[in-house]
Amino acid sequence: MIPLNYYLALSAILFSIGVVGVLARRNAIIVFMSIELMLNSVNLTLVAFSAYLGNATGQMFVFFVLTVAAAEAAVGLAIIIALFRNKMTVNIDEINIMKW
Amino acid sequence: MSLIDILFYFFATIAVVSASIVVFSRNIIYSAFSLLFTFFAVAGLYVLLNADFLAITQLLIYVGGILVLMLFGVMLTHKVVSVDMKTGTLKILPAALITSMIAGTLIGIFTVTDWRVAPLQTGDPIPTAKGIGEMFMTTWLLPFEVASVILLIALIGAAIIARREKEAK
Amino acid sequence: MLQQILDSVKIFQPEITLVIVLCAAILIDLIVKNKPQFIASIVMAGLFVAGYFVIQQSGVAVSIFSNMFVVDSFSVFFKVIILLTAIFVVMFSMQSKELNNGKRKLGEYYAFVISMTLGMLLMTGASNLLMMYLSIELTSLSSYILAGYKKETPDSSEASLKYIIYGAVSSGMLLYGISILYGLTGSLNIYDVNQVIQQGGVSLLALIAANLLMIVGFGFKISAVPFHFWTPDVYEGAPITITAFLSVASKAAGFALMIRYFFVGYYDPLASAINGYFTTIGGFDWHIIIAILSVATMTIGNFTAVWQNNLKRLLAYSSIAHAGYMMMGVVVLNNEGISAIMIYFATYLFMNLGAFYIVMLIADKIGSEDIDSYKGLGYKAPFMAVVFAIFLISLTGLPPTAGFIGKLYLFAALINSGWIWLAIVGVLNSVVSLYYYVRIFRNMFLRDIDIEHEPIKFSPSHFIVALLLVIPTLVLGLYFGPLVDFAQASVGILGIK
Repeated sequence: MIPLNYYLALSAILFSIGVVGVLARRNAIIVFMSIELMLNSVNLTLVAFSAYLGNATGQMFVFFVLTVAAAEAAVGLAIIIALFRNKMTVNIDEINIMKW
Repeated sequence: MSLIDILFYFFATIAVVSASIVVFSRNIIYSAFSLLFTFFAVAGLYVLLNADFLAITQLLIYVGGILVLMLFGVMLTHKVVSVDMKTGTLKILPAALITSMIAGTLIGIFTVTDWRVAPLQTGDPIPTAKGIGEMFMTTWLLPFEVASVILLIALIGAAIIARREKEAK
Repeated sequence: MLQQILDSVKIFQPEITLVIVLCAAILIDLIVKNKPQFIASIVMAGLFVAGYFVIQQSGVAVSIFSNMFVVDSFSVFFKVIILLTAIFVVMFSMQSKELNNGKRKLGEYYAFVISMTLGMLLMTGASNLLMMYLSIELTSLSSYILAGYKKETPDSSEASLKYIIYGAVSSGMLLYGISILYGLTGSLNIYDVNQVIQQGGVSLLALIAANLLMIVGFGFKISAVPFHFWTPDVYEGAPITITAFLSVASKAAGFALMIRYFFVGYYDPLASAINGYFTTIGGFDWHIIIAILSVATMTIGNFTAVWQNNLKRLLAYSSIAHAGYMMMGVVVLNNEGISAIMIYFATYLFMNLGAFYIVMLIADKIGSEDIDSYKGLGYKAPFMAVVFAIFLISLTGLPPTAGFIGKLYLFAALINSGWIWLAIVGVLNSVVSLYYYVRIFRNMFLRDIDIEHEPIKFSPSHFIVALLLVIPTLVLGLYFGPLVDFAQASVGILGIK
C-alpha cells in the first residue's frame, strides 16, 4: 500500500522542478511548460488528498484547474505569438525595453 | 511488493525524469515531448488513486489540447529550418540544488504533518463519471458556469491577440 | 436542490446582468460593425443596471449556490466601488485617443471590461476556495488580454507577457496552498475550514506553509511587495484606461477577497465576542505577516516612485504604496480597521482615477507621459493643471481633500488598537510621497513661466468627466459623514458577529 506521503513527496518534487524552470529558463514557451508542471503537481496533491480523505471535492477541483490551465495556455501562447511578430524573439532576456 | 506499488514507482520515476528533461533540456522539442510523458505518468497516478474519469480528462485536455498548443507555439515562433532549436539553458548543479531545497522543505513539512486521513479504499474501484456529472449540475453549478465564462473569454481573447491587425483605414 | 438554485438565481441579478451584457456586446459587435461608441453605451447601461441591483441587495446576508457565494453588506460596498470604477473607465475609454485611433476593434475591448468587472464582483463574494480561484482567474485572464490590447506597440504585448507569466506562477502557488489547506481540513468552504481549525489538531507548520503560498496569490492581485514586479511594467505598457482600472477596482476586489478569507477562515467566535477584536485561531497569527508586507509595500512603493520620470510608472509605484497603507487596516483585526479600508477605497477611487484621467488627457494632447513635458502646464491648461494638483494633494493625504479623510480614519484605527509603530511608519511614508507629488506640482506651475504658452484646448465632455471626479474629491474631504456611516454600516461579513 502506498502511503499518502509518497504522493505528496512526488508532487512536491514536481512542483519544485516547475518552480526552478520558471525561475531559471529564459524561453517563454519553456516557462509556460514549467507552469503546467506546477499545475500538474497541484492536481496530483488534490487527487491524492481526495482519495485518502474519501471525499470527491479535491477531484472536482482538478477539473476546474484543467479548464483554467487550458484557457491560460491559449491566451499565453497568443500573447507570445503577438510579441514574436513585433520583436522576433521569445527570450525573456531580450524583452527589456522596460526596466526598473 | 504488489502490482500497485510497482506501478506507483514506475509512474513516479517517469514523471520526475521527464519533468527534469522538460526543464533542463537544451532542445525545446525534447522539452515538449517529455512533457507528454509527464502528463501520461500523472494520468497513470490518477488511475492508481481511483480517479478514472479524471485520468481520461487529463489525457484529453493536456495531451490533446495544451501540449498540441505548445507545439504550435514552438513551431510558429521558431524558424524550424534555418535557426537551430537550442534555447539558453541553466547550470545543472545550482538548479538541482534549488530544486532539492524547495522539495526538501515541502517534504519535511508534509512528513511532520498529521493528515488525519483514512486508508485508501481497496477493492474494485467504482466508476466516478456519474457522480461527477451530478455534482457539476447541483452543488458545483456556479463554478461550472463561471468556468464556461472563463473559456468564452479565453477563446475570444486568444483570437483577438493572435490575429494580425488590418492596416488603418 | 432545484428550488435552492432558483432561489440563488434571484439574489444573483447583478452578475447575471453582466453576463447578459457581455454576450450582448460580443454579438452586437458582430452585427453592427465599427460602432464602438454604441457598444460602449450598451455596456455603460448594463453597468448602471447591475449597480441598481447591487444597491437593492444592501442589508441582505445570505449564502447562495450551495455556499459557494455570499451576498452581504461587506460585498455590496466593494461591488459599488468596483462598478463605479468600471463606469468611469468606460467613460475614459470613449474619450481616449490611444484607443479610438481606428486601428483596432473596440467591441471586444468593452466586452473584456465587462468580464473583468464580473470576475471582480465574484471575488468580493466568493466563500469557497474554488470560487476564489476561479474569480481571480476570470479577472486575471481578462486583464492579461486588456493589458496587451495595444498590440502594435511592442511594450504592450511585452507587458502582457510579463503579466501572464507572473500571474500564472502566482496562481500556481495559490493553488498549491489551497491544496494543502484542503488536505488539512477536508473542505474548500471557508466556513467549514474555520470549523475544523477551531476543533484543533490542525498541524500549525503545514497551515503556515499553505497560507504563505496563498498570500503569494493574494499579494499578486493587490500588488503587495515582493509580488509587485509586474505592476510598473504592466501599468506602463497597458492602455492607460486599463491601468486606471487595474489600480483601483482590481485592488479593491483583491482586498475584499483577502479580508473575507482571513477574517472568516481564522475567526474565533468566543474570544471576539468579549473584546470586539477578531482573535486568530489555531495559533496562526496571520496578521503579523500582513503587517510586515504592509511596511515593505509602502516603503518600497514610495521610495521607488521618487526616481520615476514617466508619470504612468510614478502612479504605478504610488498605487503600490497606497496598497501598503490599506494593508495596515487589515492588521488591526477589528471592524474599525475594515471600515477604515472601505473609506480609504471610496476616496482612493476618485483621486486615483482622476490622476490617471488627467495623465491620459495630457498624453492625448501632447503625446508624452514624461514628467518634463509637464513644464508650464499650469499656463497652457490652467483648469486641468489645477484639477491635477487637487488629485495629487489628495493622494498625499493633505486636508481639505478626500485623501486626508481616508488616511485619518486609517491611522485612527491603528492608534486605537495600539499599533503605534506601524502608524508612524505610515506617516513617514506619506511625507516621502509628498516629495514626488510636489515634483509634478513644481513642473506644472513653477517651471517655464516666462516663455509664451500655446493654450491646450479641451472639449466640454473632458471638463464634465474631470468635474465628476474632482467634486467628490473635494466634497468628501469636507462633508464625509454619509460615507463614514455607509462604510461603518457595511462591515458585516456573513458569519462574523
